[in-house]
Amino acid sequence: MADNVANEQLEKRAETAEPDPIADSSMSRALLITSILLILTLVWSLYDEIFGQRPWKAYQSEFVASYLEHLETLKKAAAKPEERNEKAIRETAEYKKLDAAYREATEKVAPRVKEIGARVSEIDREIGDITDPFQEARAWIASKIYQLETTASESGKESVRSSIEDKRNESITVAFTQKDGSIKKEGVPYKQLEKRYNDLRDEKARLNVELAGLTKESGEMLRKREDYLQNQMSGLTEQAVDNIIKGTNAFEYRIRQINVAGGQVVDRCESCHLGVREPLTLTADKMGDEKAFVSHPSRDLLTIHDPEKFGCSTCHGGNGRGTTSVEKGHGRYKHWLWPLYYKENVQAGCNQCHNADRVTRMADTLNRGKDLYYQKGCVGCHRYEGFDREADALASARQTIKQLELDRATRLREMRETREAAEKVTSNEEARSLLNRADVVLPQLVSQIDGRIGELDLQTKYLMKDQKKIGPNLKEIKAKLRKEWLPVWLRDPQAFRPGTKMPSFRLDDNEIRAISAFLWQSAIDYVRIADQQQGNVERGRDLFKQTGCVACHSIDGNAINQGSQPVGGHFAANLSRVGEKANFNYIVRWIHNPRQRLAPYSPSLRRDLTPDDYKSKNLAFLFDDDHSKSPLDGRELQVQNMTVMPNFRLSEQDARDIASFLMSLKKGEPRYPDASYLDDASLKQEGERLVKAYGCASCHEIRGLEDEGRIGTELTVEGSKPIERLDFALLTEDAMRGKDPITGGERSAWYNHKGFFEYKLRNPGIYDRGKVKSPEERLKMPNIYLEEDEITALTTFLLGSVTTSIPESLRYKPAGAAKQAQDGWWVVRKYNCMGCHNVLIGEDPTLAGVAMYQDADGKEQLPPRLTTEGARVNPDWLLKFLRDPSLAGPQAAEKLAQQIARHDAGAAQPSAVAGLTSQPGANRNGVRQYLRARMPTFDFSPNELQMLVNFFMGASVQPQPYIPERLEPLTGDEQTLARALFTSAAAPCLKCHMTGDPAHDARATAPNFLLAPERLKPAWTRRWLIDPAFISPGTAMPSGLFNRDEMHGRWVFSGPTPPSFQTYDKDHVELLVRYMFQLTADEQRRLGTGGAAPSAPAPGSTTTTSSLDRAIRRPTSRVNGP
Amino acid sequence: MDWHQLWVIVSAPDNVPIVAMLFLVPFFAWLGFRQALANDRLVVQLEADPKLAKTHHRKTWPWKPHWARELHVWPYLLRIEFLATLIVTVVLFVWSITLNAPLEEPANPNLTMNPSKAPWYFLGLQEMLVYFDPWIAGVVMPSIMIVGLMAFPYLDSNPLGVGYYTWRQRRVAISSFLIGFVTWIVLIFIGTFIRGPGWVWFWPGQTWDHNFVPFEVNQDLPDIVARWGLRFIGFQPWKGLFGAAMVGLFFIVAGYLTHKLVTRTDFEKKIFQRTSLLQYSVFQFFAITILWAMPVKLLLRLLFRIKYVLVTPWFNI
Repeated sequence: MADNVANEQLEKRAETAEPDPIADSSMSRALLITSILLILTLVWSLYDEIFGQRPWKAYQSEFVASYLEHLETLKKAAAKPEERNEKAIRETAEYKKLDAAYREATEKVAPRVKEIGARVSEIDREIGDITDPFQEARAWIASKIYQLETTASESGKESVRSSIEDKRNESITVAFTQKDGSIKKEGVPYKQLEKRYNDLRDEKARLNVELAGLTKESGEMLRKREDYLQNQMSGLTEQAVDNIIKGTNAFEYRIRQINVAGGQVVDRCESCHLGVREPLTLTADKMGDEKAFVSHPSRDLLTIHDPEKFGCSTCHGGNGRGTTSVEKGHGRYKHWLWPLYYKENVQAGCNQCHNADRVTRMADTLNRGKDLYYQKGCVGCHRYEGFDREADALASARQTIKQLELDRATRLREMRETREAAEKVTSNEEARSLLNRADVVLPQLVSQIDGRIGELDLQTKYLMKDQKKIGPNLKEIKAKLRKEWLPVWLRDPQAFRPGTKMPSFRLDDNEIRAISAFLWQSAIDYVRIADQQQGNVERGRDLFKQTGCVACHSIDGNAINQGSQPVGGHFAANLSRVGEKANFNYIVRWIHNPRQRLAPYSPSLRRDLTPDDYKSKNLAFLFDDDHSKSPLDGRELQVQNMTVMPNFRLSEQDARDIASFLMSLKKGEPRYPDASYLDDASLKQEGERLVKAYGCASCHEIRGLEDEGRIGTELTVEGSKPIERLDFALLTEDAMRGKDPITGGERSAWYNHKGFFEYKLRNPGIYDRGKVKSPEERLKMPNIYLEEDEITALTTFLLGSVTTSIPESLRYKPAGAAKQAQDGWWVVRKYNCMGCHNVLIGEDPTLAGVAMYQDADGKEQLPPRLTTEGARVNPDWLLKFLRDPSLAGPQAAEKLAQQIARHDAGAAQPSAVAGLTSQPGANRNGVRQYLRARMPTFDFSPNELQMLVNFFMGASVQPQPYIPERLEPLTGDEQTLARALFTSAAAPCLKCHMTGDPAHDARATAPNFLLAPERLKPAWTRRWLIDPAFISPGTAMPSGLFNRDEMHGRWVFSGPTPPSFQTYDKDHVELLVRYMFQLTADEQRRLGTGGAAPSAPAPGSTTTTSSLDRAIRRPTSRVNGP
Repeated sequence: MDWHQLWVIVSAPDNVPIVAMLFLVPFFAWLGFRQALANDRLVVQLEADPKLAKTHHRKTWPWKPHWARELHVWPYLLRIEFLATLIVTVVLFVWSITLNAPLEEPANPNLTMNPSKAPWYFLGLQEMLVYFDPWIAGVVMPSIMIVGLMAFPYLDSNPLGVGYYTWRQRRVAISSFLIGFVTWIVLIFIGTFIRGPGWVWFWPGQTWDHNFVPFEVNQDLPDIVARWGLRFIGFQPWKGLFGAAMVGLFFIVAGYLTHKLVTRTDFEKKIFQRTSLLQYSVFQFFAITILWAMPVKLLLRLLFRIKYVLVTPWFNI
C-alpha cells in the first residue's frame, strides 16, 4: 500500500509542471550544514571542557617545561669545575679522607656482610617454599578449632578433635627449590613444618640485627661524607637536582588542592602557582618570565603558616576554588567579596587574625599603617577597637561606678526597711532572720560594693593617666601661644610646619576667625605661670642634641649643626619654628615637666577646677599624682596633661637653657596680622559650633568639650563594609570605568575598597566633587597630607580591617608570653620606645639614623638594645627602673616631699602663680650614667608598668614570676682566682664599667657592677660574657674573652691566667658571674683604685697580651654594654 | 548617549532571553501573519470557485493537479522537525559554552541589591507593582489573567479558524491575545532596559546613576480633582466614592469600545449572535480588567503622574 502511494506520487511528480513545494524540495543541504555545525559545536564543547574551562593545564605544562629547563642549567652549573661546586669538593683532601674512612669501614665488614646476605637469601627461598602449604594447613586447623569451640555435643567435639590431631600428624608435601634451581618434593609432618617455619624466621631476624650492627659504622661514615658535601656546597648536589628532575618528569597533571578545616578552606591556587613550595628558590626570570611560578617570597612565613593548615586564600584573599580563569581564581570580579589583595596591600591579609597586634612581625607595611593610624590622630575621630582603649575603658569604668553606687543606695534602703519590717513581725523566728539579713548579710554586701567602687576609682585614676590626646591641650593656649599666630596656623598648618600632624580643614576666613576666637576665649586665664629668666642658648642647643629630644622631635639640621635636612623622628612635632609661635615661660615649664597642667579637670563636675575651689576647702592649689582627688567631691581628677611626652628630670636651669634655644628657632621675625577679633565675644558661639562640627576635641583638650564623642565612622571592620555602602557619590561612574579623578587620565577600574580608601586619603574631600551641598553637609575629614607610601600603609591596614571569614580554628589567639608581648606592644608604640631603643629585631631606633650617632663615639652613646631585655634583667628591678629610671631611691623621694611641702606653702598665695614643680628622682640616668641621652620618666600608671614588664618578659619568653637562681658563695680560693680574672690586664672590666668614682665614670661606657645582682639574671650574664656581640651586635663589650675547653666541657679565659688556675678545673665564666653577683662596693673600690696598676699580668706578658688582642674580637663600631 | 551602559544591560547573561525576544516576537508575529494572510487569500479564492472548493487541497497552497493529496508524517514533517532540533541544539551548545550561569555572591541579609530585579519571566509582574498595590498587582491581577486564559476556550463561539493560520476569521481572538502578550513583553522590556537603581525610569542609553534624583511626585486622582476646587473630594468617603465612580466610568467606556471593536464586520456580528450573554459578559469583564486596565493605568501613571484612582482605606486601584 505504501509502495503504491509512493509510486503514484513519483508518477504524478514526473508529469506535473509545477513542483510540489514540500514533497519535491530537498532538505539535504540544510541538514548537512546544520549537522556539520552541530559536530563543530560538539568539538568546541569538548575543547572547552578539556582545555577552555581548565586553563591550569596549560600552566602546568608550561611550568614543567620551564622548570626542567631551569633544572638542566642548574645541573650543568653543578658539573662545572668551579670552587664550591660538587666536583671541586669531591677533590678536596677532607672529602677524600672522609671517603676513605667510609670505604675502610665498609671493607672491614664486607666478608661477613656478604655471608649474611647469602644466608638470608637462602632462608628467604626456603620460607617462600614452605609458606603456602604451611599456611593452608594452619588455616584449616584454625577453622576446625572454631568448630571445636562452638560444637555443643561432647561426641561432636571428640570427632573434631581427632580430625585436628590427624591433620597435625599428616605429612604435607612441600616443593623445595634446590640451589641448582631444580625442585624436590618432600613430605613433612605438620608439626615439623611448623617448627621449621618458626626457626627460619627467628634466624633471619637474628641475622638482620647482626647486619645492622656491622653496617652501623659505615653508615655513619657515609652520612658524615654527605653532610660535608652538603655543607660545602653553595647549591644543590647533582644528585639532588637529578632527583628533582626525576620528580618533575613524573609530573602529574591534576588540580592541586588544599582542603582544610572541614572544607571551609578549599584552595586550588597551587594548580597554577606550582613553584610556591618548591625546594629551590624560583624567580620569574628563572621560570621564563612567568610570575605565576615563583616561590613564596618568605619561607619563614610559610613555616609559621603551613599552607597545608592555612591554605592560601585565608591570607591572600581570592577565590581559592576558582580555576576557570585568572580573574575568577583571584576573585577580581564583581561578585567575589574577598578579592586577592594587590601586591602592595598583601599584608592586609595578616590583619585578619593579627588585628589585636600593635606590631606584627614581618608585616612592616601593616605596622606602618597602624602607627600612622595612631600618630596621625585618625583614632581621634574614628573609633577602632583596640586603639585608644583607655578612653573606652574609662567610660565603662565610670558607667560601672554609677551602677554600683545605685546598688549601694538600694542595699542601704533595704537594710533600713528590713529592720523596720523586723519590728513589725510577730514571730520571733521571722524577726531573727530579718535582723540577721539587716545587720549581718546586707552590711557585708555593701562593703563588697564599696571595695569594688574603690578599685574602679583607682582604675579611673590610672586610666586618666594613660589616656592621651594626639594634639596639645588647647586650654593652655593663652599661656602657651602668641595670640596672632593662632589664625595663621589654622589657615594652613602645612605651610608653617611641613609634615605636621595637624591636618587642614578647608576652612574659609570667617570660619577661621570664629574658631580662633572660640579657642582663645575658652582657654584658661585664671592661672598665670611664673616668669623665667632667659637661659644659655648654646648650652640649650647642646642639651637638646644630646638629651635625646630628636628621637621623637625633628628639627632643622642647621639649628643643631647637623646638615641642612630636618633631623630626628616624626613621632612628635618639628620644632624648627617654635620661636615664632610660643611663649618662653610656658616652654620652660613644659620642658621641665610636660605633664604639669595649669588646672586640674574634674570629670564628675565637668569643669576645670580653679584656685578658688581649693581655697574654699582651705587647701593649696596643688594637684599631682599624689593629690589627684577633687577637693569638692573627692573624685579623681585629670591632673596631668594628656601627652606622651615624658619628663626628662632636667634641672630648672637645663629647662631654661633648652627653652631659650627653642625660642631662638625662627624663620625670621614673624609679622602677623592683627588678631584683636580673638576677644570678640560675638564670634564665640559660631566658633563652638564649628569646633564641634569638625571634631577638634578628638585630638585636643578643649574647655567645655571634654566629653565630645567621635565624629567619624568606626573603622574596625571598614574593609568588609559592602561596596555599596561606600559613598563614591558622583565619582561612581569614574570608578567603575577607570578614570582617575585627580589627573583625569585613564587607569584601571577602581570601584573597590582599595580605590575608595586611596582617593579618600589622597584627598579626603574628593567625594564631594561636583555635589551641591551646604557647608554643614560637606565631608569633614581634613586633609592629612600623606605621602604615597603612607597611603599604601593606611589602605593596607583598612583593607585588613574586616570581619574575617577565616575559620575560628585558624585564628591567632595568643596566650601566656605571646599574649603579654602582644599587649605590651601597644604601650611600647604609644610612648615611642623605639625612638631610642632597638625593640623589634630588624627595626633600628630613630636615633641610630641621626648623623651624630653614626661614628664610633656616637654609637657608644646609643641607648641599649632591648631585644633580649626580658632574658637579661630581673622583672622586679625592671619595674623599679621603669617607675624611676634615675634609680634615685628613697632619699630622692624624701627630698621630693620636702620640696612639695615648700611648694604647698608657696601656693597658698592669693593669686595663683604656677611655678615649676619638683622632679621625680635625680637629674641623671640610673644605670648608664655615661649616656648623654636620658632615659626619661614616663610616669606610667601601674597598669602600664605591669604591661611593659610583662612585655619584656613575654617577648623573651621568660617564666613569671621570676625566681632568682641561687649562686654558690665563693670560697676564699675562688675569690682570689675570680679577682685575678676580673682585673686581668687582657680584659680589665673596670676600665669601661662604671665604678661610682666620678673621675672614672666620665670615661666609662658600661654600667656599674654593683647593679648586677639586683638587675641581671645570671644565666643571661653567662651568655653575655661568652659572646656579647651575638646578643647585641656592635656592642663595645669584647667578644672571645673565653674559649671552649671541649675536653672538660667548660669555658676558660682566653687571656693569660696566673699559675694558680692550673688546679682550677671549673668553668671560668661561671666563676666570674658568681664573683660579679657577689661583688661588694668595698671590693670594687679597692680594685678600682688599684686598677691603674693591675696585679694579674705576669712580667713580660706583652706578647701574650697582643696575641690575646687578636683572639678577642673588639668591634670597630661600638654600642654600649649590657 | 551612554553606549557603555546600554552594552552592560544588553550583554548581561541574565538578559539574553529578553534581547532575543525583542527579535523573536516580531519575527514570529510576522511569520504567523504571513501564513494567515496567505490562507485568507486562499479562502477567498476557494470560495469564489465552488468547483475548486470541493477538491482536495493542502492548506496554504491551493491544490494543483498531480500533487499528492496527502503527505506522510515521515519523512515530510519529521525531517523539518529534525532540522529544527539540530538548530536549537547548536544554539544551546553555543550559548552554554559562551555564557556562564550568572551566579552572584552569597546573599547578605543586611544589604539589598539595587536594582533588585526578578528573573526575566517575572519582570512584568514586578513592573506591575509600580502601578498597583502589591495585593492587586501580585495576586488579584495574575489570578484574573490565569482564570481568563482558562476561560477563553469556553467563551469562544467562533467555529472557524481551527487548525490553520487565519486573520480574517479570528480577528478578535488574535487581537486580544496580542494586546495582552505585547503588554506583557513591554512590561518585561521596561523592567530590563528602563528600570535602573531605585527602580527609577532611565531611558535607554541614560547612565544608571545611583545618585540620580528623579522628579516622581505622584498624586491620587481624587486629590488632583480636589485641588481644582472640589475640596470635599479630597476626604473620605467622597474620595472613595469619586474613585469608584471613575472606575465605573472606565468600565462603561472600555466596555462600549470593546463592543464596537468586536462587532465591526458582518462576520463578527454573526459570531456575536452566536454568543450567549454569559459568555459575552465574562469576556467583557476580562477584556476590561486586563487588556484595558493595564495599559491605561500605565499611561495614567507615566504621563499624568496619577498614583491611584480609587482610594479606599482597604485597597487602592
